[in-house]
Amino acid sequence: MIVTQQLKHSFILISLFAAGCASNVTVDQPTIPTPHIEKLPMDVAIRIPAEFHNFVHEENVLGKETWTINLGSANAVFFTQLFGYMFENVIVLGPNDNALDYTFDALVEPKIEGFEFSVPNQSKTDAFAVWIRYRMQVFDSAGNSASTWTVSAYGKSQKEGLGGSKSLQRAAVLAMRDAAALILLQMNKATKMASLADGPISLEKLVSSGATNNAINEMDSTPVGIFAIGGIDEETN
Amino acid sequence: MKKLTSITAIFLVIPLSGCVTATVEGDREETTGLLEGQSVVVMAKSYHQGNETEADYISCVEKALGRGSTGLKVIPNQLFIDNLFPWFEPRTAPADTKGLVTLMERPGVPAAVKRMGVRYIVWLDGGTERVTQGGSLSCAAGPGGGGCFGFAWWQDDADYEASIWDLEDSEAAGTITADYTGTSFLPALVVPIPLIARTQSKACGGLAKQLRTFIVGDGAA
Repeated sequence: MIVTQQLKHSFILISLFAAGCASNVTVDQPTIPTPHIEKLPMDVAIRIPAEFHNFVHEENVLGKETWTINLGSANAVFFTQLFGYMFENVIVLGPNDNALDYTFDALVEPKIEGFEFSVPNQSKTDAFAVWIRYRMQVFDSAGNSASTWTVSAYGKSQKEGLGGSKSLQRAAVLAMRDAAALILLQMNKATKMASLADGPISLEKLVSSGATNNAINEMDSTPVGIFAIGGIDEETN
Repeated sequence: MKKLTSITAIFLVIPLSGCVTATVEGDREETTGLLEGQSVVVMAKSYHQGNETEADYISCVEKALGRGSTGLKVIPNQLFIDNLFPWFEPRTAPADTKGLVTLMERPGVPAAVKRMGVRYIVWLDGGTERVTQGGSLSCAAGPGGGGCFGFAWWQDDADYEASIWDLEDSEAAGTITADYTGTSFLPALVVPIPLIARTQSKACGGLAKQLRTFIVGDGAA
């Protein structure tokens, strides 16, 4: 009985030490304030990838601290809200929805291309920093890849309290907010997607801009077949 | 013995103050003043430009500006940033008054500023850092008790600059710089006696007092 109790106490102590080396941060769903911008008068579909509903990033810092950042469905909520502020009409598609069933001027497929962070031990400052790199793939209504745009966002928050979980959480939210500001102000300039409201990209333009034959062939046979493939990385604008 | 214990307890509970030297300078570019219902907002310059002003320093200046019967009406900076989203995010905030002029011409922006009654933006830049430290202090504890012996000291430098922008004219009203240097001491003969220089706190109070004078004149200081 005594041995069992000692084992129990040892286990609790070991657990406490182990817990000291690992930090879990759960990011609450961020809220973007209503922006002072004019909506683009177009119908846009956004395909929310599966990873946006359950994104977890784990990293071992300097070989001794393990940080787990759980963004959960924060990205799904974030992009749905953001696009609602940017465009007159927004259709939210799930990863398995068929784009053929919907009518729109443009389809946007965002994805997380990179997620990085630094803690005070690494940066030798009092701040936590988060970098998020999103890639925005834009398709026209016929399924041609119109453009690709990479958004690099950054958030920084000073260390508060002992653990720093709250600071890292805030840095992640600030990085998402930074992405929101950039997307709101630069997306149309970078992707020229407003022009897609006038109709899909012409075949001549696709050929002259050197779009992949695969994309064109795909369009000839099944107009929106490319939606199922996704992730083509050429720029036609 | 009881008296000695009481004195020690006082030293432990109320840390004595270290010494702080201060230099506060102002540079006025235009006349200022606040009308009834007008307010100010205190913001940190963008970390995208390498600024490291501490969040607690910003809130300290906010509180100090609004304190007392002559306190100014201060709009919390997060409320201001949210109400003007996305124009005052670290990435998008105007870096100079030229950018402010362009911003104030954007649809919805002047109306949002007017709704909050914000007349002045105070941009804070700078930070507090430990510039030097020395000495040695060691503590030990045993079954019969414990204690510390030695002497340690450190020097903090709080260097801040406040740029005041007038939103009514979209012009810079002036700048105030505050440079505070504080040295703290920690002698220990069994019991450590902290003589802490509250450099950042003093820099907050000093800058806020000067800001208040700058914006509304001597009557408010």
